[in-house]
This record gives sequence, structure tokens and C-alpha cells, in this order.
Amino acid sequence: MRIELAGAVMAACAVAPTSAFAVEYLSAEQAARLMFPDADRFEAREVVLDAAQLQALATRGVSARSVRWPVTIARRGGATLGYIVTDSVVGKFELIGYAVGINLDGVVMQVEILSYRESHGGEIRLLAWRRQFAGKTAESPIRVGEDIANISGATLSCTHVTDGVRRIVAVVQAAARNGSLA
Amino acid sequence: MNPKRWQGAAASAAMVAGLVFASAPASAQNDGQIELAARVDKLAVELAMVKAELVKLQQQQAANAITAPAPAGTPPASGPPAATAAQGTGPSAEPATVLTSYGEINYNRPTRDSKNAVADVRRFVLGYQHRFDDKTKVVTELEVEHAVSSSRDPGEVEVEQAYLERQLSPGIAVRAGLFLMPVGLLNENHEPTAFYGVERNFVETAIIPSTWREGGVQFVAGFDNGLTAQAGITTGFDLGKWDATSTEGAESPLGSIHQELALAKARDLSVFGALNWRGVPGLLLGGSLFSGGATQGQTVASSRVTLWDLHARYTPGRWDLLSVYARGTISNTAAFNTPLIGSRTLIPKSFDGWYGQAAYHLWSNADYAFSPFVRWEQYNTARNYADLGAGLTPAAVRTERVITIGANFNIGSSIVLKADYQRFRENSDNNRFDLGLGWGF
Repeated sequence: MRIELAGAVMAACAVAPTSAFAVEYLSAEQAARLMFPDADRFEAREVVLDAAQLQALATRGVSARSVRWPVTIARRGGATLGYIVTDSVVGKFELIGYAVGINLDGVVMQVEILSYRESHGGEIRLLAWRRQFAGKTAESPIRVGEDIANISGATLSCTHVTDGVRRIVAVVQAAARNGSLA
Repeated sequence: MNPKRWQGAAASAAMVAGLVFASAPASAQNDGQIELAARVDKLAVELAMVKAELVKLQQQQAANAITAPAPAGTPPASGPPAATAAQGTGPSAEPATVLTSYGEINYNRPTRDSKNAVADVRRFVLGYQHRFDDKTKVVTELEVEHAVSSSRDPGEVEVEQAYLERQLSPGIAVRAGLFLMPVGLLNENHEPTAFYGVERNFVETAIIPSTWREGGVQFVAGFDNGLTAQAGITTGFDLGKWDATSTEGAESPLGSIHQELALAKARDLSVFGALNWRGVPGLLLGGSLFSGGATQGQTVASSRVTLWDLHARYTPGRWDLLSVYARGTISNTAAFNTPLIGSRTLIPKSFDGWYGQAAYHLWSNADYAFSPFVRWEQYNTARNYADLGAGLTPAAVRTERVITIGANFNIGSSIVLKADYQRFRENSDNNRFDLGLGWGF
């Protein structure tokens, strides 16, 4: 957890205005093309989860966090290749940007770290760690200490990104089932 | 408005509309009938609006009810989902300044001498990180130990970290200021939620003087093969602070002569390097080396402090296994000890220790997690002394061996309750039960 200084506190500290900070390793576009190199176009879609879907996710222990989720659909010709969801979670103190590529069967193909700003724990960018997510589905635990190994010194970053991937996989599955991603 | 009330209003409107329809003759052509029809139309429109509003309210209520209790590990301040790939990431809600804190409140009760039981705010730390731009930030921590700091109280107020960091490239950063030394497993990750046991382990307090920080410049480089390299030039120790009349040096040789950048004597600079490899998920192998002059030009004789360590951590599945070995040496101690002969605590030539620890993530439910652990430590703060001559050279102290058995009970990733029992093989008067409360964010 962290406290974001705002309002009067921000003014008192004479801090800079809120803005987008990023040690950006990949853009969302680059990540999408990396995950679906055969795609000839990417279509933006906003998935809106209804109350029943949110309830179903909560029953499985997944907090959707938001009713609206932007999903990018990778297409080639008339065929759908899969989905990409970009998101950000707090690591230890700062935001980590990441993207998850999921195929039509709801299986995670790839996870890419888009930005990482912490002083420690940048090792979550390592392919060896990210590769652990490949093949996971909404039925997988996707939890640090179960099917995802931790990185020593980056426990919070690992845990929060892992939780984020679990959430995205569940959201995409729910959206695909009700035809929102057709 | 309560959705049930909206629902009642909608039903009433529908009933009114139905009654109006039923009472209107099909052949009516007069003005009254036309007016009635207009009112019916108006009611129908209002009914549709009420229905739409009702659906919207129900959805909002359901969403609020579900998202309120976050599951375990959910980052409490996670930002909203970023934009899609096609749209780009766009600006995030990242604040420029983040407030951080951690704290420990401990209770120690010796089993053989309960009158020495103590409860203590071991440390309370407030810090902030502020980003000046996309590559530059400042990191600070201000610590209060033992709750109250005054001339009549045991507490201390310390600046624990205060450094600037600049990202030079995606894989390389430079830090300057007061920073934690990359030694062992605990020093850089010392928040109570990051380690097992109420108290920090002895090896990384008696041999490695955690929380050990120095002032200087440090480069950090990360490589794609999982290797992280850190190296720099810093201030070092001051052997002139050695107090032969106290036991502080026997408890932690380097802890008694560290300077913490408090008007630190800085004639002699030190160098350090650390390598950590995390190429296999769940595995960390690493080591560090520090060496620097410790007399700071204050004496004719010179002396050098060297400290190195090797460490490993492996977290397969629910297990968390780790081990650290650390060894320190102080050179030319005979010259400094000779005038101290007969004093209580002479300067050791070498000191070392190691520990192994196994923890198991036994149980979790929602955001609760229970992890028992066992730790075995051996450490010696005076492995040997430089020769002062027959009958004058102190005998090496006996190696203390401590077993700690206990458990951490985590609430989310930010709060931990701890309990353990520590048994000392050499000085069994130190045997004790410990309870601890910690948090960090």
C-alpha cells in the first residue's frame, strides 16, 4: 500500500504536478505487435462487465477493480487471433506497466513489462520470470508461491503483477463468454 | 435514491398509465381525451426514464459492493486499466511524490529473567520518494528508534536513506547520497514484512551492521541474463569510535564504529561491489565485498575494514529457503589494541557468522497468511585477535549458536504479526519469547 499525496499536502510539499512518468521499455503498441506478429490490425474495444459478471468474478476471488476494461483485439483478415490487455499496478512504491496477451482459448501467451520505475526489483522484466505465465488460464491459481515463483528482493512487484495477470485472464474470459469480444 | 424507491415509483407510474388507458374510450375525439392522451405519453416517457435510471443504479450498486473488499495482494492504490495498445498507454495517474513508512513494535520476554522483559517501538520510519522527472528521483527515510529521543531517553532519530537516483539508460542507474549498502539479504530489504522473526537475524546485525548505510556514489546495472551489479565509492568506518570500556564492540564490531554520515570522517574512502543473479525464477545467488580505510588519518597507524558475504535464497512453491555467510576483518589491530590492554573489549581481527532458514507458507485465506519458520545461526563477533604477546592476547570468544522457531502471520502484504522463541546455546540467559507487530508500505 502507499499513500498518494494530494491536494493540500501536495501543495504544502511544493511537489510537481501529477504527470506520466515512465522508464518505458516497451510501448503498448510494441507489446501488441510482439505478442501477435501475424496480426494485420488491432481493434480497440471496451468491455463493460455487468453486475452478474462482477459477482461471478468475486465468487472466484477476483476483484475486477473496474467495470470498464479496454481490450485490444488482434485480427488478421476476418480472423481473430487473440486479445491484449495493458494495465498498471503498484509495485512497492511506484506503478508497473504491463501487458498480457491471451489467445482465443483464454490461455496466456505472453506477459510484457512496459515500464518499471522502482529502485529495486527490476528483475521482473526477465524473460525467465515472465515465461512462467505462459499457458495459464482462468482456471490456474496464478499466485506467487503456488504456480508462480517469486523473485527475492522484488516480492511486492511479483505479487502485484501476478495478481494483475490473474485479474486480466478472468476478465477476458468473462468478456469472451458473453460475446463482448466477438 | 434507494433503487427500491425508484422501483416503487416506476410501478406507480405504470399503474397510473394502465388506469388511464383503461378508462379512455376508443372513440373519444374531444379535447379532454386529447389532453389525456398527451399526459399518458408523458407518463410513458417518464416511466422509461425511471426504468433506465433504475438499471443504472442497480449496476453501480453491484459494482461498488463487489469491488470494495479487495482480495489478498491486491495493490490498494492500483491505477485504472491503461489504454489499449491501439490507443497507447496515455498518461497514468502516477503521483510525483509518494509517502512511505514502516514500523516495528516488539515485545521480548527472557524465559529465565522475566524482570528484563521489554516492550519497545523498535523503529518507526517515515519516508518519501519524489520524482523530479521521468528519470530522476529522490528517496528518503527518517527513522525514530525506541519511541522517544531526548537527553533522558534511549531513542535515536536517524536519516536512514537520502539519495538521488538518475536512470542513465534502461539498464543502468546511478545513486548519490546516503544509501543502504547492498550486502546480505536483509540490509536493503529490512522492512518487518520482508523477514521472518520478530527481531532481525544476528548475522545481519552483529556481523553485517544492518541497517548499514554509507554516503557516496553507486552505480546499479541490470543485465538480461538476470545479473544485477552494484558498485561504488563511499564513506567508511571510524576506528577512532571504538570504545574499549563498553560491550558494544563485542555485540557488533562494525555497528560500534559505523558513522552513518553523521559528520562522518571522510579522509579514507571505501569501495564496494555486489553481484546478485536471479536468472532462474525463485532463485537468488549473490555476494558482496566492501573494503576501506578506517582510521581516517586520525592516527599514525592505519587500518582497513573489509567485509564480504555470500548469500542464497530459493523459493520453490510454498518454501522459502535462505542462507547467508558473512565475514569481516580489521587489519593492523595490534597497534590499536596495545594501548587498550586490560580493557573490557579489544578490537577483533576477524568476526563472522552464518545462518540458514526455512519457512513454509502453510495456510492462507483471503488476505491472511500463516508461515512458520525455523532459523539456525552461528556467529562470532571476535573470531580471533591479533597477537599482542603471550598472556596479553585475548582469547577468541565462543561462537554463539541460536535457534529461532516461530511464525509470521500476514494480513495482506503490508501488515505482519510475529511470534517466536529463541534459544541460545552459549548464553542461555538470553533465551526468550518474542512478539512483534509490523507494517510497511
